[in-house]
Amino acid sequence: MRRLLSLLLSVGFLALFSSATSSDYHEQLLLRPLHPSLLLASFNFQSNTSLASFEQQNFRYFPRSLGQILQHANTRELHLRFSLGRWDAESWGARPWGGAREGGTGVELWAWVEAETDEEADGRWLTLTNALSGLFCASLNFIDSTRTTRPVMSFQPTGDHSNSTLSDLHLLHGTLPREVVCTENLTPFLKLLPCKGKAGISSLLDGHKLFDASWQSMSIDVRPICTPGSDDCQLQITQTIDMVLDIQRSKRPRDNPIPRPIPEEELKCDTSKPYHSGDTCFPLDAASQEEDWSLSQIFGHSLKGTCSLAQDGADPVCVNVPHARHVYASEGALEYKDASGYSRCFKIAPDKDFELVLPQQEISEKTPLEQPLLYAERSFIGYGQEHGGVQAILTNPSPTKAVDFVYMESLPWFMKLYLHTLRAKINGLDEDIIKEMYYRPALDRKRGTQLEVRIVIPANSTVVLTYDFEKAILRYTEYPPDANRGFDIAPAVITIGDVAIRTTSLLLPLPTPDFSMPYNVIILTSTVMALSFGFVFNLLVRRFVAVDEADQWDFRSVRVKLRRF
Amino acid sequence: MSIDRRKATIFGAAAAVRVLLFTAFPGLPDLLTARVEVSTPVTSFKRLQEGLFLYNHNVSPYDGGVYHQAPILLPLFSLLPSSAAYPAFTYLLYILVDLLSANALMKIAESGEAGSSKLYTSPRKDKKWSSYAIAAAFLFNPFTIATCVGRPTSVFTTCAIILAISKAVIGSSYASMFALSIASYLSMYPILLFPPLALLCYDRRPKSSQSTSIYTSVVQNLLAVGGFIPFLLYMSSLITGSWEFLESTYGVQLLLPDLTPNVGLWWYFFIEMFDSFRSFFLGVFWIHLSSYVFGLTIRVRRQPLIVLTVLLGIFAIFKPYPSISDTSLFLALLPLYRHVFPLMRYSFLASSTILYATLLGPAFYYLWIYAGIWSLGLSLLVADILFAVLRDELEVERPEMKGKEIRQI
Repeated sequence: MRRLLSLLLSVGFLALFSSATSSDYHEQLLLRPLHPSLLLASFNFQSNTSLASFEQQNFRYFPRSLGQILQHANTRELHLRFSLGRWDAESWGARPWGGAREGGTGVELWAWVEAETDEEADGRWLTLTNALSGLFCASLNFIDSTRTTRPVMSFQPTGDHSNSTLSDLHLLHGTLPREVVCTENLTPFLKLLPCKGKAGISSLLDGHKLFDASWQSMSIDVRPICTPGSDDCQLQITQTIDMVLDIQRSKRPRDNPIPRPIPEEELKCDTSKPYHSGDTCFPLDAASQEEDWSLSQIFGHSLKGTCSLAQDGADPVCVNVPHARHVYASEGALEYKDASGYSRCFKIAPDKDFELVLPQQEISEKTPLEQPLLYAERSFIGYGQEHGGVQAILTNPSPTKAVDFVYMESLPWFMKLYLHTLRAKINGLDEDIIKEMYYRPALDRKRGTQLEVRIVIPANSTVVLTYDFEKAILRYTEYPPDANRGFDIAPAVITIGDVAIRTTSLLLPLPTPDFSMPYNVIILTSTVMALSFGFVFNLLVRRFVAVDEADQWDFRSVRVKLRRF
Repeated sequence: MSIDRRKATIFGAAAAVRVLLFTAFPGLPDLLTARVEVSTPVTSFKRLQEGLFLYNHNVSPYDGGVYHQAPILLPLFSLLPSSAAYPAFTYLLYILVDLLSANALMKIAESGEAGSSKLYTSPRKDKKWSSYAIAAAFLFNPFTIATCVGRPTSVFTTCAIILAISKAVIGSSYASMFALSIASYLSMYPILLFPPLALLCYDRRPKSSQSTSIYTSVVQNLLAVGGFIPFLLYMSSLITGSWEFLESTYGVQLLLPDLTPNVGLWWYFFIEMFDSFRSFFLGVFWIHLSSYVFGLTIRVRRQPLIVLTVLLGIFAIFKPYPSISDTSLFLALLPLYRHVFPLMRYSFLASSTILYATLLGPAFYYLWIYAGIWSLGLSLLVADILFAVLRDELEVERPEMKGKEIRQI
């Protein structure tokens, strides 16, 4: 009893102590102009709470609604992604956060659930998806057994788990490529933040702008982090929103949003061309011309002060532009220029609106593009409604370093993969570059295909991965209402170390039966069966007689004959 | 030992045609393998390749939705050199199986069972084609050739069924039952051929066992099949290491989860069937398929071979995953009944419908329009041959009616 009491006391003290010191909140907005005339805005919100106080339901900056779901579903680590659009790696360079905070098109969820058996883990996963579905107004409850995989080589836990829990952790991964991410998902996302979109950088987030972006990704990551060598563990929640906005599109006035042709006199023509005349215009190269933009033009309004809970001293707004670029901030803001020459950050006055204006400027210096580790694209090959193929082109741009990665596909069951047709060609040659493979075939209506391939691409090489598949035909009730639109195929996940990048999702057209007239088919088939049954049994049960005898064989004569006996 | 020169010529020519097709058109085998008329989900060669690949890489092929074929095919084909690298071995195997079927077919023809069985002798029995003609009709049938080149595993079932019949007509009932067990093990539906085949074995029993009664004979055969099939299944479970192949091979035939198009009736019906009635109609379809067995066996008791022929024709239409390979099996046995062809009423209609369906079917399929016409043509032919045989029997009973119009009451 005394031991229990002392244990309780010490836990209580520990909780009090850690909650007083280590609960912190941090937020930052990073703006990076991209070529041509685009702007990447990365919002990052991070808060920590000690694991001990979390377990006592003392959530502080950790959102209570999410925390209780995690506790109820025994989830130790959670990653949730809502994404739309395609990241154009060729002109935009490396992905924000190296790709670690993005998901495939639609909704993607993966989590480490603590359970003793696979069945228990499935049950908790079901609890988790249904609860999150309600919390985020997304169709996460449709992540059923056909959409859930258990990756073997891809995805490693990013948090620190003790060895005892690690053996009981089950990784489950689900995707909903068809889900359209929209404002109903943003609202619950903002509600998880301590300042709830009222102050600080989150006040810039507006559904109209976010879902108008060329590419956007919202992420939530929950993971435990421990200082090595001590028992002091914290639960960290990181929420990020990344979006690529079209500057010209954002600047269009709300009341007159339709783009109109530029009047002839405002066209910027290259007058050095020999054919330049009054009716011929070659557009002037605008690469050195930097677009003008301001926060209120891009986001609809200026930033409303700072979130007073973010007291870690980090500067809340940073812009990645060369130092030569003119940047005007509103009064009260302090500018800090980075030593690298391409980044500057602003400290904002707590209660004042903050505005940032970048005027139009002729400047040849550009922020250098960071090269991605790998370029990946995936597409369908073949034609027709019966068979098809998938081709993934993976390019390692680095001139010196080889890339070791795991390529993971999770395909729906109606895409019947032929694994024996899997081929990997490197620079057009057949070579054995597949180091390891994990394959779990699909079961009709029960689970999808899971394919993980570990490949090493040497420096400056391109690998083309192809395989064939057959399209199954579904029962007519299994087609969605817009059956002829096709079926969305989840993006392939490419795991390089601890970051994962995704290809785009694919649209698979399946053969469709006649939805309007099932009775016709049923009747036609039944007629064929009835006809043949009738034909055969008519011959079997009836007696052959000559035509002239047939009259004597009618029922009356039979009855007369019977009566005679 | 004298070599039968006519037989050698026919077999050699048939093999040459196939070898020529394989070598002159290297793309043809894969083209035909991809055709739904040749390959069904339960016989497709491409799916066999996939199963084999998984089997050789220690993934259970039955823990997936692609491979639904019998486990024995896996070790058999992994013994052969890989068909991707050395396709010649696979081609040779399929040509050999076709020739084996033709050889067995010739034995059936030579036995004369079609014209005169133990209990019945047709007055027209002398009007028949020679066994060479029958073998040639089988070997040079475009359906058989297409099947051979497309390499579905149904050719093994076909061969086993013809072997079972050829063993039955010489009275070696255990060999026949073993062949039937293999056929049933490969494709399940041939088990329905047991009643007529057991009767055929009894009718043709050797002189040494003339005294056995029909019941003892049937029970002996039943015990033989009941021993062979569990033995084959047990061996399969040893090969694959578990019993999950049962659900993936026979379960798929029974429950039809894979609705890939084929020449049969089931798939489109079950695409369009309402969910709540699906299991009911699965039951109805299977009962319908098996309803013919006992009716025919009892009514045409005196000629078990025609029962087998007609049943194979019915199966070619109404079984869950039919292909032209089943049609070619029916068409192989049909020429045995040359003597009743004059009595057929719809021969022109039936044969032209089949031709029509054969030529237009692929086009219709291509346009994704469902055509039920194929089945109609075949069922006409089945009913017609049955009519002709019954009419033939009638003439024996009442010889005076020859040439008169008849009517059924």
